[in-house]
Amino acid sequence: MAKGHVLNLARRSHRHSQSISTLPGPPGPYVMIYDRLAEAVKQKLKRLENPEDRFLKYNNPHPKDMIPPPPLSFPLTRVTTLPNGLRVATESAPNSPNMATVGIWIDAGSRYEPDNTHGTASFLDRIIFTGSKRRKKRQLEQIENIGGELFAETFREKTSYYATVMGNHVPLAFDILSDILQNPRFTTKRIHIVRNEILKEFMNQDNHKVLAQTEELIFDQLHATAFQHSPLGRTISGPAKNISLITEEDLQNYISTHYTAPRMVIVASGAVKHEDIVEQVQSKFIKFSEGLTTSELAAEEPAIFTGSEVRIIDDSVPLAQFAVAFKGASWTDPDSTALMVMRTILGSYNKRSVSSGGGKHKGSMLVQRIAINDIAESMTAFNYNYKDTGLFGVHAVAKPDCLDDLAYAIMYEVTQLCYRASEDDVVRARNQLKFSLLTEGTISVAQDIGHQLLAYGRRIPYAELFARIDAVDSSTIKRVACRFIKDKDIAIAAVGPVQGLPDYNYFARRTYWNRC
Amino acid sequence: MASLMRWFADPSRNPLAKWHLRAVDQSLRKYGLRYDDLYDPQFSLDINEALNRLPEEVVHARNQRLKRCMDLSMKHSSLPKDLQAMQTPFRSYVREMLAVVQRENAERKALGALPLYQRTIP
Repeated sequence: MAKGHVLNLARRSHRHSQSISTLPGPPGPYVMIYDRLAEAVKQKLKRLENPEDRFLKYNNPHPKDMIPPPPLSFPLTRVTTLPNGLRVATESAPNSPNMATVGIWIDAGSRYEPDNTHGTASFLDRIIFTGSKRRKKRQLEQIENIGGELFAETFREKTSYYATVMGNHVPLAFDILSDILQNPRFTTKRIHIVRNEILKEFMNQDNHKVLAQTEELIFDQLHATAFQHSPLGRTISGPAKNISLITEEDLQNYISTHYTAPRMVIVASGAVKHEDIVEQVQSKFIKFSEGLTTSELAAEEPAIFTGSEVRIIDDSVPLAQFAVAFKGASWTDPDSTALMVMRTILGSYNKRSVSSGGGKHKGSMLVQRIAINDIAESMTAFNYNYKDTGLFGVHAVAKPDCLDDLAYAIMYEVTQLCYRASEDDVVRARNQLKFSLLTEGTISVAQDIGHQLLAYGRRIPYAELFARIDAVDSSTIKRVACRFIKDKDIAIAAVGPVQGLPDYNYFARRTYWNRC
Repeated sequence: MASLMRWFADPSRNPLAKWHLRAVDQSLRKYGLRYDDLYDPQFSLDINEALNRLPEEVVHARNQRLKRCMDLSMKHSSLPKDLQAMQTPFRSYVREMLAVVQRENAERKALGALPLYQRTIP
């Protein structure tokens, strides 16, 4: 009994001590030396991710939006609309040394021609500098005597004639331009000469395979297949048959139908003054009349995108070229800026060129894949916009044995834009796009003004342009990519030894992912 | 789908996850281990490299904890109650370093360089 009493006492005192003394809590993170050292290591690792200001002085591992130049530092573009509908736009660059570019940008191209006379636009562009009623060809070369140059370009939706001269020769340049466009003279002899030149070029292209391996061929084929049964699919120069049948009447008809005042913009940039230019234009460019506007013409024959492919297998050339394209956005589509940013995200690569900036260390994941695994000779992402449609895709040149890997890499990266767009990539692309849009030099400024006035109807100020680009963030990219890329039709054009290029269904399956 | 997984694994929102966290906590306390002690350097060479980069006191402490745990397990007993109250099972010392090592290896692989260490299955 005493033993039980002692045991009870012991048990009670044991329980008592347990309930009174609280159990010690865990020590803090800096008590034990191993914990202190572990915390120090964690701090150092965190500093790795966020480098000190010393290392951020010149650059940053995480891309940041560039500080935009002040909006008022850009010269103003002044536009006047004359009573006959002609628009005159000038941008005087205070810094340019007495150089000026003056020219005419016309909203006409191979797209708006009827089928039977297709080819007139490009023919006209070659023959226009050979003479007018008042001047012979020799006299047109006056421009070159004073150190200037004349340019004529024709595209599918745009034609431009411009000249670069010294500032005090601008009236002469206007004289020449107005003369050749309003009083052109096409003698039969001259037409024959130009026609034979063009036909000889065509023959050369067919016979010499090297010439035929230009990018132009691939893009011509791409347009032809993507926009089949539609005027946008035609080549710019037209078929040889039409070229041999062009007469003076066709050329005059073309000028009177398509070179009408509301579709033309006269642009002058450089050492020019707006009022002088407007005066000269009003006195010289008088013979242009009204006509159908391009939006009506485009609505009559809208561009239809057909998902299709064309492959020209040719084993005699060493490299294979192909281009994959989706239907893109038109100029005035609000998502066109996002497509431009997406094109910059995909980037471009050229194995041979030193100036392509970086090789396998470029920011674009697609370029890194291609360069590290050495699957292409060159690659470019392209984004063409037209009045009611566009083309967005990738063009690549490669050796014939790695075409399937290249196809996988391209489709993987393009489709990835629908599901993932990292902030770093988007910020980097935005900065690159903004930088590339800052134009310098009178010729590029004039081209920019002419093109923007025709495409948008106004010159977009840089502040607005940068604001539009900044509005594109990663969720915008994903939405726009889902609109244009995810499970949408594609057009493929391939030339060369392309037996190894996967079939259409391979590409079409990889326009979407089932795993995300 | 991703948000469902996140909810499932979150102890503050899913009672099952809370129960699991408490169970892991108690078993680790019983043996006097930390969660980071369970990373096995022979399972992955990345863990080996991460442990090699840590200061030696931290690694010594880890080894002592493991020895204590092996001893307790052999004796079929557990840590005394007061020591169990002082445990900090979820204080980490190797997870950040492991992430850095894995990121470095991924970068090496993406750039096309050869890995620093490779493993053969004997």
